[in-house]
Amino acid sequence: MPTRGVEGAPRFRSGSLVATATLLSSPPCMSAVTVERLKKLFGQRTAVAGLSFSVSAGEIYGLLGPNGAGKTTTLRILAGLLRPTEGVAEIADVDVGRDPREAQRRLGFMTGTTGLYGRLTGREVLAYFGALEGMSPRDVVARTAELAAVLDLGEILDRRCEALSSGQKQRISVARAVLHDPPVLILDEPTVGLDVLASRFLREYIGAERARGKAVIFSTHYLAEAELLCDRVGLLYEGKLLAEGRPPELRALAGDATSLEEAFLRLVTHLVAA
Amino acid sequence: MNLPHVGVVFRKELRETLRDRRTLAVMFLFPLVVYPLVSLLMAEVMAGKQATDDARTSHVALVDSDPTTRRALHAHLTAKGGGIDVATEGKGEAEGAHAPAAGGTAAADVLAGTFDAVVEVTHTPAAAAAAPLAVRVIYDETRPASDQANDRVNRALGGVLPRGCFRTYALTGVSLATKSKIGGYVLSKILPLIVVVMTMLGAFYPAIDITAGERERGTLETLLSSPVRRFDLMTGKVLAVGTLALLTGVLNIVSMSLTVAEGARLAAGSPILAIPWPRAAATLVIVVPAAFLFGSVMVAIGAMARSFKEAQTLLMPVYLLCFTPSLVAGMADFRLTGIALIVPGTNLTLLARDLMLGNAHVVPAIVVLASTIGFGALALAFAARLYDSERLLASTDADLVGLGAWLRYLVGRAAPGRPAIAPTAGQAVSLFGVAFILWFFAFTWLQRWRLIPGLMISQWAGFLGLVWIYARLARRPLVDVLVVRRPRGWAILGAGCLGLSGWIILGILADRLMPPPREVVESIRNLIRPPGESRSLALSLFALAVTPAICEEALFRGAILQGLRRQFSLPVSCVLTGILFGIMHGDVWRFIPTALLGTLLSWVALTSGSIVPSMLVHVLNNGVLIVLGYFGLDQAGEKLPLRADMVILAGATMLLVAGLTMVRRGAGSLAR
Repeated sequence: MPTRGVEGAPRFRSGSLVATATLLSSPPCMSAVTVERLKKLFGQRTAVAGLSFSVSAGEIYGLLGPNGAGKTTTLRILAGLLRPTEGVAEIADVDVGRDPREAQRRLGFMTGTTGLYGRLTGREVLAYFGALEGMSPRDVVARTAELAAVLDLGEILDRRCEALSSGQKQRISVARAVLHDPPVLILDEPTVGLDVLASRFLREYIGAERARGKAVIFSTHYLAEAELLCDRVGLLYEGKLLAEGRPPELRALAGDATSLEEAFLRLVTHLVAA
Repeated sequence: MNLPHVGVVFRKELRETLRDRRTLAVMFLFPLVVYPLVSLLMAEVMAGKQATDDARTSHVALVDSDPTTRRALHAHLTAKGGGIDVATEGKGEAEGAHAPAAGGTAAADVLAGTFDAVVEVTHTPAAAAAAPLAVRVIYDETRPASDQANDRVNRALGGVLPRGCFRTYALTGVSLATKSKIGGYVLSKILPLIVVVMTMLGAFYPAIDITAGERERGTLETLLSSPVRRFDLMTGKVLAVGTLALLTGVLNIVSMSLTVAEGARLAAGSPILAIPWPRAAATLVIVVPAAFLFGSVMVAIGAMARSFKEAQTLLMPVYLLCFTPSLVAGMADFRLTGIALIVPGTNLTLLARDLMLGNAHVVPAIVVLASTIGFGALALAFAARLYDSERLLASTDADLVGLGAWLRYLVGRAAPGRPAIAPTAGQAVSLFGVAFILWFFAFTWLQRWRLIPGLMISQWAGFLGLVWIYARLARRPLVDVLVVRRPRGWAILGAGCLGLSGWIILGILADRLMPPPREVVESIRNLIRPPGESRSLALSLFALAVTPAICEEALFRGAILQGLRRQFSLPVSCVLTGILFGIMHGDVWRFIPTALLGTLLSWVALTSGSIVPSMLVHVLNNGVLIVLGYFGLDQAGEKLPLRADMVILAGATMLLVAGLTMVRRGAGSLAR
């Protein structure tokens, strides 16, 4: 159950979600996400140029890079929204290019824009997406109650989404993404526009999901945030993987940089000079 | 007031707003392209309808026991130009081919449609010799032919003045229509149009909200990441929009019926018409397919837009273009036959009218409903395909048409050494828009002033000049824009066959599907061989065959087709170019044949890889028609029986197929 932190903002105890894990049905998956030689062209422009990485169950993988690096395109391919020009992307052993609907059943996708219908209440949004995921109304009700407790949605579930604050919308959005309890979570800049407390809430929730064995791919501009949260990080630049590893490894690779941001800048400068 | 601040804000707002292509579209597209197109379409159709009405003869029965007045009336009614054919009945004697039944059954004659009107004279013994003769005109005001007959009789007899300058005839109109029939007739004039238009409007905003609105609110990406088939998603959306449109349509039928009845009662002080509720209810059958069709079309188009505002800009011309045929059908008394059965909007309006009047037949009604549902299903399939497209997630103008970049390029000057701009669909459409505006506002005026000089200026300086300016702005050689390349021999041979056969097939199809009014045919004949003017055949051929073959091909099969081909598949590019080619000819009766010809010419140009074969097809097509028209041989075909038409059609089809095969054999590659 959530506890209250400063100014009434909800905070997680890491064990709270682990305790509920027995209620959930997703089997753990060793290599939850596999991307091999992924390439995406928009006309003549290359957005992703032969990208390869993998994410294991119970791991948070950060996809970092400046605007236009190819993060969103990669995540959209994984979410079945775009078709790869070349290469393979698999979600829980399902090829996204060949069977996008089946792959979509195994992932929860969330962006910074929250993707909620303003004129519906939070409960109605969850019922709608639960039905689209193929859940029975009874399962949706049960799962909504469960998530309401975990994400502290009690007061806001029955209000129209347009009347909610950014942080509240993002909590509903998280509930929507994990409603069908997918083994893989893809989060595209989920903390954009959130205040410090809401961002921390989200980070804690993502950490809790990792503890439950979920594979999480997380993209952000905020390198400090990634350093706090990610087990491994892939640095993207112009559609290519510049470097990959644990944050301390990347800092060491860049000549003992003091932060991921500094490491990234050094690596990019080195690449451009080369 | 700080004027410099006002000026700074004014300039910034103007600059920013004028860079919005939606604003530009509303500013220029509507007044300069859409309105002329709509007015042109309406004027053409209404003129054709008027010509048909004028040519119709009113069959009138004359019942008069006095031979003297009967002869006078007969003479007045059948005066030249009146359009009245009179059958008379006196004391037991009948004259004329269609003698009326006894006077007492005049009403039955009119109601059965045997006569359009019956003119009855009542003689009173006490009446002074100089008193006006009492004449009753019995007609049915709810039947257009009967109403027209009444007008004609009134015109023919109302203006007859004897020496004493008082009226010879005291005319009284007696309409046989019951209150219920009048109610049905009044509703048939307004209800179908209102229902179709309001159903369309009912679909308008919901369609935008659930497509472009969803995209704008950022929920689309979330929705598309759900494991749901796009077709299912789109079907659900279309059904929701269709339901709202359906409710709008039903509410309009009920409200309009009540309003008409109550409005007429208030105006007259007593009920002067009655609403035929069963017939009004029967019109509900059109609302369901109409709601599905308009819901599908508007959702499909709304899905192309990235924002609410853009969707409004895209849908408004569609709304106007759907509205116009319905308006024309509502205003004029067209019959629900032939091609009208499958023209969306028009067919529904006419069917609703026939249902209101109780004139609907089962087979035409089934064709109308089935074709409407078919078009709706096509639009739904298109929308679902669009939702499966990555273009839906495009976020910038550059990902779409690139029109903005081209317009900026047009108004700016390219830096030296900048590379040539590749043609785009946006450029093609813009080029057509400019050509259409010039044609509508300048070239038609020039041609009315002096046909041959006006035509030469329009074609050589206008169309070809426009292509030249485009080539200069795009920094491309004119021969490259025009795709002037040496074609293969097979392509030339094939083009020859197509040029000699295409006009026959198109002519016969046009005559069978949508026969133009005689006035239109005559005006084309006058164009080829103007009465009272001695123009040589050579000049006609140069002005009307060679010149369009070069200049129109340069514009349509050169710049426009190339641009469209970069964005669309070969068949779609050909059809779109054909449609634009048909529109530019500005004649609703010739639209289908010219659009088909344009499609064929585009296919020839793309398949052969050169504009030369399409020019050859064009020059032969026009040339043969001019030679036939010049020697008056074109009218010979009009008297041929159907069997002869079929034989000629079969021969021409064989030649056409041979031509298509040869062009394919001589295929080249056109710049893409």
